[in-house]
Amino acid sequence: MSAISQVTRDEWRFWHRTKLAATILVIGTLLTIVSAVVNTIEMEHTSHEREHLQQTSETQFLEQPDRHPHRMVHYGHYVFRTPSPLSMIEPGVDSFTGTSIFLEGHRQNSAMFSDQRQASGMTRFSSLTPSFLLQVLVPLFVILIGYASVTREKEAGTLHIMITQGVNLWHLLLGKYLALLSSGLLMLMPLVIAAIWATFTGESLLITSSFVTGYILYILVWSGIVLTVSALSNKNSVSFTALIGLWILFCILIPRIGSSSAAAIAPSLGKLEADFSVLEELRKLGDGHNAADPAFEQLKKNLFTKYNVDKVEDLPINFRGTVAQYSEEKLTKVLNKFAEQRMQEELSQAQIARQFGWLTPTTAIRSFSMIIAGTSLETHHRFLREAEILRFDFVQSLNKVHQDTLSYQADINRHKDDKAARVNAENWQVLSSFSFKPDAATTRLSRSVPFGFQLILWAALVGFTLRFAVRRIS
Amino acid sequence: MTVFSNISREVRFLAKQRYILALLGIVFSLSVFAVWSGISETRFQLNTIDRLQEKDDIDRKSVLAKQKDYGSAAYYSFHLTYSAPSAIAFAAMGQRDIYPWKHRIRMLAIEGQIYETDADNPELSFLGRFDFAFLVSVLLPLFVILLLHDLRSAEREAGRYDLLITTARKRQRLWLSRAIVLSSALAIVLLAPFVIGAIVTQAPLASVGLITLVVIAHLLFWMLLTLGFTASSVAAKQNSAQIASVLLSIWLVVTVLIPVGSDLAIDEMVESPNGGEIVLTQREAVNGAWDLPFNATWNEFLATHPQWKDMTQMGDSFEWKWYFAFQQVGDQKAEDLSKSYRTATLAKNTLAGRFSLMSPPMLTQRLMSSIAETDTNAAILYELKIREYHKELRDFYYPLMFNEKEFTLETLSGLPKFSNK
Repeated sequence: MSAISQVTRDEWRFWHRTKLAATILVIGTLLTIVSAVVNTIEMEHTSHEREHLQQTSETQFLEQPDRHPHRMVHYGHYVFRTPSPLSMIEPGVDSFTGTSIFLEGHRQNSAMFSDQRQASGMTRFSSLTPSFLLQVLVPLFVILIGYASVTREKEAGTLHIMITQGVNLWHLLLGKYLALLSSGLLMLMPLVIAAIWATFTGESLLITSSFVTGYILYILVWSGIVLTVSALSNKNSVSFTALIGLWILFCILIPRIGSSSAAAIAPSLGKLEADFSVLEELRKLGDGHNAADPAFEQLKKNLFTKYNVDKVEDLPINFRGTVAQYSEEKLTKVLNKFAEQRMQEELSQAQIARQFGWLTPTTAIRSFSMIIAGTSLETHHRFLREAEILRFDFVQSLNKVHQDTLSYQADINRHKDDKAARVNAENWQVLSSFSFKPDAATTRLSRSVPFGFQLILWAALVGFTLRFAVRRIS
Repeated sequence: MTVFSNISREVRFLAKQRYILALLGIVFSLSVFAVWSGISETRFQLNTIDRLQEKDDIDRKSVLAKQKDYGSAAYYSFHLTYSAPSAIAFAAMGQRDIYPWKHRIRMLAIEGQIYETDADNPELSFLGRFDFAFLVSVLLPLFVILLLHDLRSAEREAGRYDLLITTARKRQRLWLSRAIVLSSALAIVLLAPFVIGAIVTQAPLASVGLITLVVIAHLLFWMLLTLGFTASSVAAKQNSAQIASVLLSIWLVVTVLIPVGSDLAIDEMVESPNGGEIVLTQREAVNGAWDLPFNATWNEFLATHPQWKDMTQMGDSFEWKWYFAFQQVGDQKAEDLSKSYRTATLAKNTLAGRFSLMSPPMLTQRLMSSIAETDTNAAILYELKIREYHKELRDFYYPLMFNEKEFTLETLSGLPKFSNK
């Protein structure tokens, strides 16, 4: 054991002496600290802002005056997505998806106002998020620090001397590995602190600890890659070039090739085009504004039998409200069918891109990190679904008010006597409040299993190649 | 003649180096992939627009056929607008995955509709696409560094340095010709797939030439930077890997730190209204109008449309002309907010342009997407075209509604058509 820690200490002393490694380490750590602080402040700010907007939107709805209930269906409501605690480290798809949705009758609107649309366009490749730094830049820093850890000894001839003196090669490499790993972990520290902070602000411990574990595995993999390549090369320059090549390949190229391939392999129609099919199906349902539409003939007959009357005017309920309820339900079924289909398409595209995690550890950690943090596509889809549930709920409640509270006579004469065709504003209380929470810890964990497995596989692969390298040297 | 013989000697020498050939091979295949995926994406978008135009036409005809007055016709019919990718867009997809390039609008208040986006899969946008502009702006510098950083140091480490120096007639010319040969090889493998792609998509010669110039200028910048640094006295004491580390740090600063820093600065410098406020204002105005006396709407409407001042009499408590008038008023009330939102987007973009002067990779990327018309400016231009078209729709329907013309489908065949020009 002492032999290993001796090597580790020597390695650290060497970095201290050569300045370059020390500078990189300081810059890397500083960058992650700055980004963690900036993002935490930013996240807290948006979180408060959106909670505030949500409240304003709810009060505005409740404060509307007496009206025809269907007017409130069109007045509509806004919902806002509050960010998850871990999004200060991993914002994931958050800045690319809209953050608010307008909910109204007869329509499912898309999320509006994504951050990127209002951004300067400078952060399409890089961003000052801890996740980008840790997934893309820290591997580069580890390479710059450690590319020469074995080749240096080879070039100076000291490796040969140590082996003939009886130093165990495994001990030597393990010592160097630990030194490299500790430098990587040092740059990981801000993330660990941020994760602890997230635990205090309401994230489950299970989540934050798996989150940190994932990143440790990632650093483990990269330190291993760096050491293996250095052990397999004979010259500093060869080791360096090979490692930079691998870095470009793993951290930049393959993830993007994955996303471009996913778009090419499984092209998605887009909402606009899918809407034509939606409209086609919707027209078959009849227009819910028009109670005389033949599509509602059967409904009318059933009600006549039920209440034993033969005129719409004699029904104890407002038939126009019944039609609104009936058609909204049918319409929502169609809309949901298409929305689900579209979400499935998006998800299968994302799944293709995520399979590239078998080809690069960077995609593996990215998927893992997004899913655990609750900033992946799945969470966005859940936001859309929950917003839809709220929409359907308040629209139908208003339609019920329309049916039960407003008289049919007043309703059909609404263009002549507008005042009589209104209901009391107390009825607007049907709106339930909306607060978006990330998925349950267990859901996120079980979703992340394949990507955790990808990372473990990478760790195993690196261990295996390191063994191969040791055999070749001795 | 010496230059030529120098160069031909270098070509022969380099052709034997397996590492260089491998790297050039990789760059070539990356360029092929980037161009291929760019072309397949633009083809996909063009096909989508074709299909949409066809479906839109059929849909509107069938909707209009069922209407009995102009108000319902305007209310129920949608109109497709689109922004087709330019022939050179395959090389730089720019912001097209963030801003919409297709929209269907109605004659209702435009502010309630224009922010709807049919955006791409957000997870794919987050991972980033791999297009030719990305290859040139972000990766090209890395290739130049990998190829050129050890021009001298490799020779020094191999022990051939002194021999080379003494046999070469002019020292500087030796390194320069080797660098030129390597860079030209890099430019050829990079540009060949692009030029072939441009021939396939029949891109205009001027844009192809401009993009080629941008690529070569960016390549030259990194070549001279690398050459300059390797010739410096600092580099003379360093080994190849140390030299490359320094060059990589420069790349890191201009590709990552400057853009990220400018983004933070720009956000501080430009005050942008919250998009949500625009739609909220518009909604309050439009929904509030139902409860206001008719005159409140007419007064504001007539302020911008005085020609209808004698036509505002109302027979019933609901008339389409009044309904569309308060839609118009809703737009008028949100106009200031909406304008300052657009101005903020453009101001951010202009500032980004200025900041990118400090970052050659960002500059390259911005120039390429500007040539390809896929940048923020192009997106805003498309938005303005939608607004212009929306206005044409209003100008078409208002006379029909206010003059209470008799409803005929024939009149509707004169509906304005969206043109992408």
